[in-house]
Amino acid sequence: MRVLRAFESAGLEYVLIGAAAMGFHGLVRATEDLDLFIRATPENIEKLRLALRTAYEGDPTINEISSADLLGEYPALRYVPPTGDLYFDVMTRLGEVASFETIDAEVKLVDGTQIRVATPAALYRMKKGTVRSQDHVDAAALRERFSLKDEG
Amino acid sequence: MSVQKFRSIEEMNKAPVPESRGSDFERFLRHCARWWAISPKYYPRGVFKFRTIEDAQKAREKHLPLK
Repeated sequence: MRVLRAFESAGLEYVLIGAAAMGFHGLVRATEDLDLFIRATPENIEKLRLALRTAYEGDPTINEISSADLLGEYPALRYVPPTGDLYFDVMTRLGEVASFETIDAEVKLVDGTQIRVATPAALYRMKKGTVRSQDHVDAAALRERFSLKDEG
Repeated sequence: MSVQKFRSIEEMNKAPVPESRGSDFERFLRHCARWWAISPKYYPRGVFKFRTIEDAQKAREKHLPLK
């Protein structure tokens, strides 16, 4: 929650995906990471750095997060903070499939903090086509819980 | 909720999950905390960059639970 509050304070434009987002929709499974898409602009990436510096004060590795990478050749990064109990997978795009702008999201309120979370249908669309077995399990759970249908 | 008894695994699996305290997200946080306590893992600290999501997932799978 501390990090999510820091995201809000910094004005970071993001959408939560992955297991944490599924947790918001009542499908609870354990995870070690928070997956998020962020709006791909230099200003927003600076907000990401600011938020992480607030949450993990004094960690110099945060300075390695750069707009040049996230907007260029490396659209995915993993940040493992010094606490080591949770890490962050941050993405600006997923091939041609997804980006911050294309993921349907809804805002959830937790302890006064607004958290932008991908909708069940958006999560299903992302997860159903991957090769990762956990994604197939997640997609099946989403489809069953929310009576989702394949499009087209 | 009191003790529930079942004649079979199938019957147990069909039973509704007891309502737990707090929101779904709180339940998620508690579940993760328990899991991390039971199965601690070590990840090298810092920032790691990937060209694709698949590369990021492969890197994740390299890390095994702490013995």
